[in-house]
Amino acid sequence: MKAWLTVWDLLPTLLLAAVTTIEITAGAFIVAVLLGLLCAVLSTFRSRLITFLIGVYVDVFRAVPVLTQLFIIYFGLTEIGIRLDPLPAAIVGFGINGGAYLSEVFRAGIASVHQGQMEAAQMLGMTRLKAMRIVILPQAMRVVLPPLANYAIGLLKDTALASAVAAPELMFRAKNLVDKTFLSTQIYLAVAAIYLAMSLPLSRLTRWAEARAGRGRR
Amino acid sequence: MSWQIFLDSMPELLEAALGTLKMTVLAFLLAASFGLVLALVRMGGGVFGRLASLYVEVVRGMPALTLLFLIYFGLVPLGIVLDSFPAAVVGLGLNGAAYLAEVYRSGIQAVDSGQREAAQMIGLRRPQIMRYVILPQALPTVLPPMGNYLVSLLKDTSIASLISAPELMLRARDLAGTYYLPMEYYLLVGAMYFIMAWPMMRGVRIMERHFSRGRLQGGT
Repeated sequence: MKAWLTVWDLLPTLLLAAVTTIEITAGAFIVAVLLGLLCAVLSTFRSRLITFLIGVYVDVFRAVPVLTQLFIIYFGLTEIGIRLDPLPAAIVGFGINGGAYLSEVFRAGIASVHQGQMEAAQMLGMTRLKAMRIVILPQAMRVVLPPLANYAIGLLKDTALASAVAAPELMFRAKNLVDKTFLSTQIYLAVAAIYLAMSLPLSRLTRWAEARAGRGRR
Repeated sequence: MSWQIFLDSMPELLEAALGTLKMTVLAFLLAASFGLVLALVRMGGGVFGRLASLYVEVVRGMPALTLLFLIYFGLVPLGIVLDSFPAAVVGLGLNGAAYLAEVYRSGIQAVDSGQREAAQMIGLRRPQIMRYVILPQALPTVLPPMGNYLVSLLKDTSIASLISAPELMLRARDLAGTYYLPMEYYLLVGAMYFIMAWPMMRGVRIMERHFSRGRLQGGT
């Protein structure tokens, strides 16, 4: 019982660290969306070289553990004189990794929009990019949103790995507190609960939005 | 940098890669079997069904790393001390079971309800229906996501290095620290993961295409 009271006192520290977890998640999410969109739009130009390069990017970053990628960015780059702080290193690492995943998602979304839409938009005198922005992407969103939301939830949980490069997020703080207090059971359970409190509302919201978007189709 | 160091550490790294594969296979077996139990219990309903649902929700809502730490460090005060390798297998397996339970459920639900009714008509009992009618037909829906899970599990075993379980990433960290060549070693290990995971990814993609043949494709 006394142990739980101690954990209760540590809760503010953990919650503050959870804010950092959310910061890493948000930062990496933005990077991943931008990279993913860029790759997906570039691959619609059907240049052999671009398609090949994007294919290599996607396959390499999806076939290598994200922890290895984080270590290359955080520890590896110092060897060639690039020293990143843990937080930016984590955001860049997760962002580039997620970009590879999301480029596939966006590509599928763009492919789901009927080709006639692009042709019609170009008929009206829009450039390809403008047609992409105004006509294609808004329609692709319907297909893209569910996997995008699932990615965000997965990312939130994956940021726990940033503790391995000493980013001051939830899991890292928890490890430090366990080292000080030896209350491993209580602290890690509290951490699990905090992650649940963040991810469950997100997944409920996603399911609700999916059900809503699914209405009126078929 | 000298290549001799890498050549010398290659046997060590390959042995560690075997550890990674062993961990992957064992965790996969645990996840696949426990996941099926969870899915069946969950669809049976009742108190146990609800408990299974709760398990799936809770475990899917927390990072695999947190689960690993709970099992490896969190059980120690309760007198349960696991070695790092079994702890990693159990942690990754329990984590994967929650994910695969969902996969099985959607696969089973994808089988037309007429199949179950017809099987009941000809007098099969519930376990028989599941075994001979429903599960074989659920297989094509279930196999591709299972393959995807296997690939991500292979990569996720890298986090077992954070509880010092003997696998590829841990060995890479040791070597990178010893020779202070982090860039070289992590790139080398990244390449080794790629060599293991990429053919599997390709295989899953071929399997996906194979099973979706003859079905209605979305979009163009």
